[in-house]
Amino acid sequence: MSSHDHNDEESWRTPGERFTNFLNRKNPHYEHDQKDVGIAFALGIFYTLVFVALGAWAYPKWMPTVMSTDMKGIERLMVVFTYISAPVCGVVLGVATYTFMNRHRGDTPPPDGPMIRTHRLTVGLWTGISTVLAVLAILYGLIELNSANDAAVADSKNALVVNVTGSQWVWSFNYPAQGITTHELMLPINQPVQFNVVSTDVNHNFWPVQLGVKTDANRLAVTHLDTTPTKLGKIDVKCAELCGLYHAYMETNGEIMTSADFNNWVTAQGGHTA
Amino acid sequence: MTTLEHKTSTRPVPNPKKSLITKLNMGTGLIVGIAFAFGSYYWLKSGQDMSRPNNVNKVLIVTMLMWSLGFMIGIGAFIGPFRWLIGKDLTPEEELYLAGDGQGIKRYFKYCTDHKVVGIQYLVGVMTLLGVGGTMAMMIRTNLAMPGSHLVTPTVYNSLVGLHGITMIIAMIIVATGPFGNYIMPIMIGARDMAFPRLNALSWWVLFTAIPVLCSAWFLGGIPTGWVAYAPLSVQAGPGMNAFLCTIIIFAVSTAVAGMNITATVVAMRAKGMSWNRVPLFVVGATISVALAIPAFPTFMLSMIQTGLDRTIGTSFYDANMGGSGWLYAHLFWIMGHPEVYVILIPGVAILMEVLPVFVRMPLFSHGAAIAGFAGIAGLSAFVWAHHMYMSGWLPMFNGPFMVTTEMISIPTGLIFLVMLGTLWHGRPWMKLPMLSVYAFLWNMLIGGITGIYLSDVPADNYLHGSMYVTAHFHYTLMGSALTGAVAGLAYWFPKMTGRMLNERAGYVSFWLVQVGFQILFLGMFVAGAEGQPRRVADYAHMYAHADLISTIGAYMVGTGFIVLLWAVVHSWRHGKIAPMNPWGSKTLEWTVPYPVPLTNFPDDAMPVVTSDFYGYGKAVK
Repeated sequence: MSSHDHNDEESWRTPGERFTNFLNRKNPHYEHDQKDVGIAFALGIFYTLVFVALGAWAYPKWMPTVMSTDMKGIERLMVVFTYISAPVCGVVLGVATYTFMNRHRGDTPPPDGPMIRTHRLTVGLWTGISTVLAVLAILYGLIELNSANDAAVADSKNALVVNVTGSQWVWSFNYPAQGITTHELMLPINQPVQFNVVSTDVNHNFWPVQLGVKTDANRLAVTHLDTTPTKLGKIDVKCAELCGLYHAYMETNGEIMTSADFNNWVTAQGGHTA
Repeated sequence: MTTLEHKTSTRPVPNPKKSLITKLNMGTGLIVGIAFAFGSYYWLKSGQDMSRPNNVNKVLIVTMLMWSLGFMIGIGAFIGPFRWLIGKDLTPEEELYLAGDGQGIKRYFKYCTDHKVVGIQYLVGVMTLLGVGGTMAMMIRTNLAMPGSHLVTPTVYNSLVGLHGITMIIAMIIVATGPFGNYIMPIMIGARDMAFPRLNALSWWVLFTAIPVLCSAWFLGGIPTGWVAYAPLSVQAGPGMNAFLCTIIIFAVSTAVAGMNITATVVAMRAKGMSWNRVPLFVVGATISVALAIPAFPTFMLSMIQTGLDRTIGTSFYDANMGGSGWLYAHLFWIMGHPEVYVILIPGVAILMEVLPVFVRMPLFSHGAAIAGFAGIAGLSAFVWAHHMYMSGWLPMFNGPFMVTTEMISIPTGLIFLVMLGTLWHGRPWMKLPMLSVYAFLWNMLIGGITGIYLSDVPADNYLHGSMYVTAHFHYTLMGSALTGAVAGLAYWFPKMTGRMLNERAGYVSFWLVQVGFQILFLGMFVAGAEGQPRRVADYAHMYAHADLISTIGAYMVGTGFIVLLWAVVHSWRHGKIAPMNPWGSKTLEWTVPYPVPLTNFPDDAMPVVTSDFYGYGKAVK
C-alpha cells in the first residue's frame, strides 16, 4: 500500500472505506481505491490458489501409496476438503493481509476509526455461508462413511478372515481358514479382507498404514475392520495407540501379493489353501 | 524502582496481636506437609507387604494426598473454617492481615486473600510450569531430531511425552484465567475483590501442592501412558502413575474452587450498571471457560479415583479380565477432555477480542456474534467427546452423529473470525505486541481449525488418528492460538500488574522467533503425520527423517523465543520503563486505577458506575 502516506491523516482511508468508495463509482477516490481493492482481491485469490495447490499436490505426495479402496476414498476426501476450505483461507488471509498493510506504527495510538458496531448483512452472509460449507463437509463425510460401510457389508460373505492379536509389543496374524499364524501380514490382491482385532493386554491400535484403516485392539472385545487391497506391494503395520515401553517398535511388515503368490506363501507356512 | 516501592507502605501493617495467622506461611506449610507425608508413609508402610504393587500404590497415594492436606493445614488454610466450627470468625484485623496489607514481598509466600497477590502467584506459577513443560518438549524434539538417536531410553521418552502433556495442559488451563482472571478481572468488573477471597487463596495453594506431586512422578519411574492415561495401561503402570493420578485429583479440587469463585464473582459482584451486555469480553470468555470446567474436571477426578481404586484395592472398573472396560475410562476422560480444550482456548480468544478494539480504535465488530461464537463453541463442546474414540471400536454406529456435532463447531468458530476480521476491516491496527498476536492467532487458528475438520471426519480419521498429524493440529489450536492469546494478555496487562512496560524490542524478537519457529515445527509435523508417522513414538523409520529434523529446528527457534520472552519479563519487571496509568488508552475499568492497585481497588466514595459498554471507541459515523 505504498501509495498511501500513513502519516498524512487526510489521505488515509481504511480498507473498509476504500471498499465502500469502490462500490460507489461517483466517489472522488474511486479510481485510486479501485487499485487497492484490486490488491485485496488478488491477495484473496492468491491464498485460495495456494491452498488449492496444496490440496492437489501435497496430500497425494505426502500420503503413502494408495493400496486399498478405503485409502483411495481418504485421499480423495483430504483433497476435496482442502478445496472446500481454500476459499475460506482466501477470505480470512486476504482480509488479514490487507488490513495488516494498513497498520499503524509508533508510540501513540492511531486516530479513531469509525464507530461501526455491526453490519447485519455481513454477519448474516458470513453465518449462512459458513453453515453451508459445514453442511457440505458433513454430508460428504457421511456419504463416504456410508459407502465404506455398504462396501464392507457387501464384501463380508467372501472375505478372507484374519484374526489380529496385539500383545505388548508384537502383532500376530491368524488366518483361521488357512490354519496358520504369523507375524507378517500377507494379503491377496482384490479380495475383501476382514480383520478381527483383539488385545491380550493393554490397548493397541492396529494400523496397516497403506490400507487406510485402523482400529483399537481391546482386551476381550473384538473390533472389526474391512477393506479390499487393490495394489501389489509392501505394507507397514504399526501401532497407533501408546501401549507402553516399546510402543514405537511395535511394527511389522506385510505384502499385498497375487492370489497365486498368496497360496504359495500359505502352503509354505504349512497352511491349506481353499 | 524506588518510586514504586514507596507507595506500597503508606498504611501501618495490621497487627492482630499474637494471632496464629501471623506466624503461618509457605515455610510452615512445607514443614507440616512434609511431616504429614513422612508420618503417613512410615505409619502405613509398617505392617504392609511392600513387595506387592497394590500396597506400594496404596501407601504412595495416601502419602501424596496427605502432603497436600498437611501443607494446607500448615499454611493456615483451615483457620477460618475452624473458627466457624467453634462459633467464631476472623477478626477484622486478622482479615486485613490475611489480605496482605502492607506486608510487601512476604505476602506472596502467605495464604493471602488479595486477588492481586493470587494473580501474581498464578503468573509466576504458570511461567514455571510452561518452562518445565517447554524443557521437556525440547528434550522430546531433540530425541526425535534423527531416527535411531536413542538419546533417552524408551521409558524416559514415554515419561517425557506424558509429563510434558499434563504439565502443559495444567499450565494452559490456568494460563489466562489464573493470572488475568484473578488480578485483572475483579477490577475490570468494578469489584473490590473476588466473591470468596479465602477460596481464592485456597485454589492457588492447592494447585501449588500439586506441583511437587507431579514432579515426584520422575523419581517414581515416570509414567508410560501419555497424559491421557488410558486404562488398562495406567492400571498396569509402575508407581509413577500414582503421582499422576494424585496430581489430577488435587488439581481438580483447585479448578473446581477457582471456577466456582470466578463464576460467583462475575454473577454477583459486577459494578452498578454493568448489565450482561456491558460485561467486557475477557470476563465473558473467562466465565464461559470456568463454567465449562466446573462439570468437566470432577469427571477427570472421578476417572482418576477409579484408576486409583483399580491400582490399590483391586476393583475392576477398567480391567476387562474382571468385567471392567477400558472404554469406560476413555469416555470419562474425553467427557472432560473435549470441553477442556475449549476451557483453554476461549479465554485466550477472549483476551485477543479484548485488546482488538483498543489497538484498532474502533468498537468490536458485532459483539453479539462474539458472544454467540463463545456460547456456540461451549454448548457444542459438551456433545463431541466421542470423536476421540472413532477408532476405539466402542460403537461405530455413533461415529456419524459425533462427526456431525464436531463439524458444526466450525460455525461458531467462524463467527470468531468474523468478529476479528470485521474489527480490523475499518480500522488501522496499532502494531504493538498484543495486536501482532491477533494476526498470529488468525493464521494459527485457521490452520488448526481446518485440520480439525479433516480429523473430525471419520473416514479421514481412519488414516490420521494417532498420527503426528493430530499432535500438530492440537498444538496449532492450544499453543498457536490459546498461548498466543495469553502472551498478548501478558503484554497488554503487564503495565497494570507490575507498574512497568514490557520491553518492546525483546517482545518483538520473541514474537517472531516463536511464531516463525512454530510454523516450521508444526508444519513439519503435519507432513510427518500425513506420511504416516504415529505420535508418541521414541523412534521412527528413516522415511520421516526430513520432516522430523525440520520440526526439531523449529522447536529450537520456539525455545529460544520463549527464553527471550522470559528475559523480557524478568528484566522489565525489575528495570522496565515506569508505565503510565493507561498506556494503551483503553476504556475498561482496570485502567482507571493506579499502580500499585489499592487493596480495595476503588476508593470507597468512588465506586465505578457503568453507563455503556467498554467498546465505544471511534468517531460517530455520519
